Amino acid sequence: MRRLCYILSRLVKAGLVTVAVVLLSFFLIRLAPGDAATVMAGQAGYADEAYMKGLRAEYGLDQPLPAQLWKYLSAVAKGDLGTSYARQQKVLEVILERLPNTLLLDAFALIVAMGSGIWLGALAARRPGSAGDAAVSLASMLFYATPQFWLGMMLVLVFSAWLAWLPPFGIETLGADYTGLARLADIAQHMILPGMTLALYYLANYARLTRVAMIEAAGQDFVKTARAKGLSEGQVARRHILRNAMIPLISYAGLQASILVGGSVVVENVFSWPGLGTLAYQAVGARDNPLLLGIFIVTAVLVCLFNLLTDIAYSIADPRAELT
Amino acid sequence: MLAIRNLTLTLPPGADRALAVEGVDLEVGANEIVCIVGESGSGKSLTAHAVIGLLPRGVAASAGKILFDGEDLLKLPPAQMRRRRGREIAMIFQDPMAALNPVMPVGRQIAEQILAHEPVPAAQARRRAVELLEQMGLVDAANLARAYPHQLSGGQRQRVMIAMALSLGPRLLIADEPTTALDVTTQAQILRLIRLLQAQRRMSVLFITHDIGLVADLADRVVVMCQGKVVEQGAARVLLEAPSHPYTRELIAAIPRGEAAPLPPPDGAPLPPPDGAPLMQASGLSKRYRRAGFFSRRGETALDNVELVLNRGETLGIVGESGSGKSTLARCIVRLLDPDQGQIIFDGQNLRGLRGGALRAARRRIQMVFQDPYSSLNPRHRIGHILTAGACAHGEDAQEARRRAAEMIQLVGLPPEAMLRFPHEFSGGQRQRIALARALMLKPDLLIADEPLSALDLTVQAQMLKLLDDVRRRMNLAMLFITHDMRVAAQICHRVMVMRRGQVVETGPTRALFEAPREDYTKALLAAIPGRGAQKP
Amino acid sequence: MSCLRAFFARPQTLAGFCIFSAIAIIALAAPLLFPRGPFVIIGMPLLPPGAPGLAAGSDVLGRDMAAQLAYGARISLLVGIVSTIFSIGIGGALGAVAGYYGGVVDDLLMRVTEFFQIIPSFVLVMVLVAFLQPSLASTVIGIALITWPQVARVVRGEFLALRQREFVAAARMQGLGDGRIIFGEILPNALAPIIVVATMMVGSAILTESALSFLGLGDPNLTSWGSMIGGSRSSMWVAWWTMVLPGLCIMVTVLALNFIGDGLNDALNPRRGR
Repeated sequence: MRRLCYILSRLVKAGLVTVAVVLLSFFLIRLAPGDAATVMAGQAGYADEAYMKGLRAEYGLDQPLPAQLWKYLSAVAKGDLGTSYARQQKVLEVILERLPNTLLLDAFALIVAMGSGIWLGALAARRPGSAGDAAVSLASMLFYATPQFWLGMMLVLVFSAWLAWLPPFGIETLGADYTGLARLADIAQHMILPGMTLALYYLANYARLTRVAMIEAAGQDFVKTARAKGLSEGQVARRHILRNAMIPLISYAGLQASILVGGSVVVENVFSWPGLGTLAYQAVGARDNPLLLGIFIVTAVLVCLFNLLTDIAYSIADPRAELT
Repeated sequence: MLAIRNLTLTLPPGADRALAVEGVDLEVGANEIVCIVGESGSGKSLTAHAVIGLLPRGVAASAGKILFDGEDLLKLPPAQMRRRRGREIAMIFQDPMAALNPVMPVGRQIAEQILAHEPVPAAQARRRAVELLEQMGLVDAANLARAYPHQLSGGQRQRVMIAMALSLGPRLLIADEPTTALDVTTQAQILRLIRLLQAQRRMSVLFITHDIGLVADLADRVVVMCQGKVVEQGAARVLLEAPSHPYTRELIAAIPRGEAAPLPPPDGAPLPPPDGAPLMQASGLSKRYRRAGFFSRRGETALDNVELVLNRGETLGIVGESGSGKSTLARCIVRLLDPDQGQIIFDGQNLRGLRGGALRAARRRIQMVFQDPYSSLNPRHRIGHILTAGACAHGEDAQEARRRAAEMIQLVGLPPEAMLRFPHEFSGGQRQRIALARALMLKPDLLIADEPLSALDLTVQAQMLKLLDDVRRRMNLAMLFITHDMRVAAQICHRVMVMRRGQVVETGPTRALFEAPREDYTKALLAAIPGRGAQKP
Repeated sequence: MSCLRAFFARPQTLAGFCIFSAIAIIALAAPLLFPRGPFVIIGMPLLPPGAPGLAAGSDVLGRDMAAQLAYGARISLLVGIVSTIFSIGIGGALGAVAGYYGGVVDDLLMRVTEFFQIIPSFVLVMVLVAFLQPSLASTVIGIALITWPQVARVVRGEFLALRQREFVAAARMQGLGDGRIIFGEILPNALAPIIVVATMMVGSAILTESALSFLGLGDPNLTSWGSMIGGSRSSMWVAWWTMVLPGLCIMVTVLALNFIGDGLNDALNPRRGR
């Protein structure tokens, strides 16, 4: 029952954040110089007064601010994020076309990063001060300092240009028209480089965090108790140390999400991966404000939902968590 | 059954000495309770850890033997030692909150131990766990077994630990300060439980403690340790009545007792006659804490209609366990917290209504010494600054303040050079003296001491108590002395006020309260004083 | 002096300090070293490093890579340091007030920082810079706006913890006013983690700036390491140095800053473990 209330309260919180994001977007759009009509007119090639007036009336740009705000909010609530200037398509449509690609890439990166990061961190924690531990620490420091887009390009240089093992960009081989399993394999091959680029950075972080969390957990009194009970080292490590070390890792995973999305924007650009990232880049270039803001809203909502999931997982993992 | 011969443990480089423990010889026979007594740094805890084979990283046994039934535990391969742990030798630790896995229900933790050594089905292990909890005196054991450690009280957690340790019927129980983190009344209950279980199961107990007062109630034999060496050991009664080593004598003398205190009892000295109005009078003080968050209906009552009267030159002791509200009361008096209701009349002025300049002037006359010497001095300031900051803030000339500070620091027994040093260069006891000097710099009329001794070693406590008493007489201060330890209150207070859960239970002159307590709670507190059972009036 | 000794205790810290100083000196001296500026065409395009007169080779238009790297250093360091100063200023002030006074201000601040933690801040800064028109100023403002919340959280946490310490209660009892307590008692103790955070933030600001200019959102009139990498996308296949060298510069600078931050952590927080 308490858990249900907790989930509900988190949902409400996610909802509030979404509303705040939408409000922020609305005001951000005012920042852009010249209103939408100027931009559209510029693109259309017409500039005369009558046309602009007509555009403004059509888009409701001549109405007072609160009215526009209300119009925007109610539109968003219905799922209408506006119309892309450049593509003359509904923003939401455009986004939904590209969304699965981004999700695929991000999910791959997250799984690889968490899986290998935690495993490496646990290994390093087992023997603090050893050569392996130092190597993990050094590697994570290096990756922390490396710009992701540059890392991606380096990987392309090595694996595509010099070694020619993996394709350098896109999601599938153009013109090859694979279907079924062959298509999956093709996509997977294209996903490795961008996915690893994204994953390596977070892998380093997870390894470092796991190591610290495990070492701290291992120093706690209850581990001494577990040993005093006569449990084997393996049982102690799994049931007591790792189980408690997981808790801070789960909350970290939640924070990860927003950084991951940001990172994938850049990485997608490097690899011309047809996801939201490249879409955002194109929108910036084309001064396509509704599209850009639509991407902002959608990515924020996604991160919110992911945070909700990690919050729930956290409350399950840690019975001490305040379920308020 | 257990014989430690010439045990020497080395510490890792960088520790304050090379050997944690040197040449320790002691024995524990079957069906007997042996207490190891010593202050912090005596090596008593590490000795215990060596027996069960759980020495921390960096500490190793460089010499000696630990013979359990004739077999040297130090030479056993790890797998065999593991088999002994939990089954034949069990250990309970000091802080049951930290010693239990926070994410596993307590019943499962007990069952885990059973399953680690005996191939029984899980359901049976769980049932045994519930039975054990019942044997420990816990009610509603079946539900309790499903609870998590943070949902239980300190006493309940320690009973869980004991249940876990005894689940496989060990022949030796090692208890490392198991009651230090508990309330006085809970402490008494746990000690009774351990005595009972020991008698029932005829098991041997190796009990580690810093409080030699406990020993009288509990031990058959006593081992006294100091700085890593055993200074004296023998039968408990003999050792307590006729200690031969000077350190043992010092330890025994340092115990604050319920009567026959080394300091002249305050009742002996003539109290200054109350000249008209008391110095401070508080009435109707109430405070409730609201739990953070929107959806909390419950609040905690910290203070409930508390009344207090204090005369000039008098020491009033406020005694209570954790949660009794004594600290909250102190903070309300000095307006560090604001009570919801009630008034505090100090020398004719109502402290509650004051603001700004008037509040500062009034504050000057009431000063406080806090509990934690490691937290009450700003680590970034030199002692000289710490002492003079307050005086200067009240407009005193800096030169004059420094001169007075030098006097004050000598009054509390530290050299004037101390003014140039930083807090971390001093020990806990020295820091408390500095805190006292700081409080006295503003020439207060009332000094509030909020558990000033709790963080200090026993011998240092005695010195600090003497200093407080001296200072009080010299400067004719009124003092409010807050403590959870009745023995300490008896030594220094003219009158004592007992508090429980925010309410005043009983108030009266010290001697009268101790000899003829009226309320049940007061009686329980007095009965729980360790060592009182063995002392005959 | 023991502080300095603790600071340089680890060899990495010393290395980091030297490297960062070297980069800072080069950045400051760029107009002296390359008086003609970074955009001047000085020779054939795509010459490798080691070609006569070109320590770092030339780019796709025949401009001196070394000059561009030096001028790029100016931008990176400028953006990194200035945005961090703004961020610490705003975040520090708000965090201190929230942590010390608590109540409504604190609640509000926590909601705001949580908001910024949840939303993808890189997308936000892209949007901000795009809308404010890409320039040095908009980059600095954008980065400061998305990083102040994390400073505020750290500072708030420190002030909250320190406020409970007994020496603060003692200071109140001694009659010290709020201002004296915040600046004289609490701040000296809170300074250490703030300094460490600030050092790390300069590094991450440099990374963010480089990502923005890679995407073309940097100042179009200035050369920056990120824009160099962005411009090398076509030429990297035949002239790896046009892409590798600027990236190495970023990596080395940020690494040096991280080492310095670790060293500061050791020196200023001796009692806090790793």
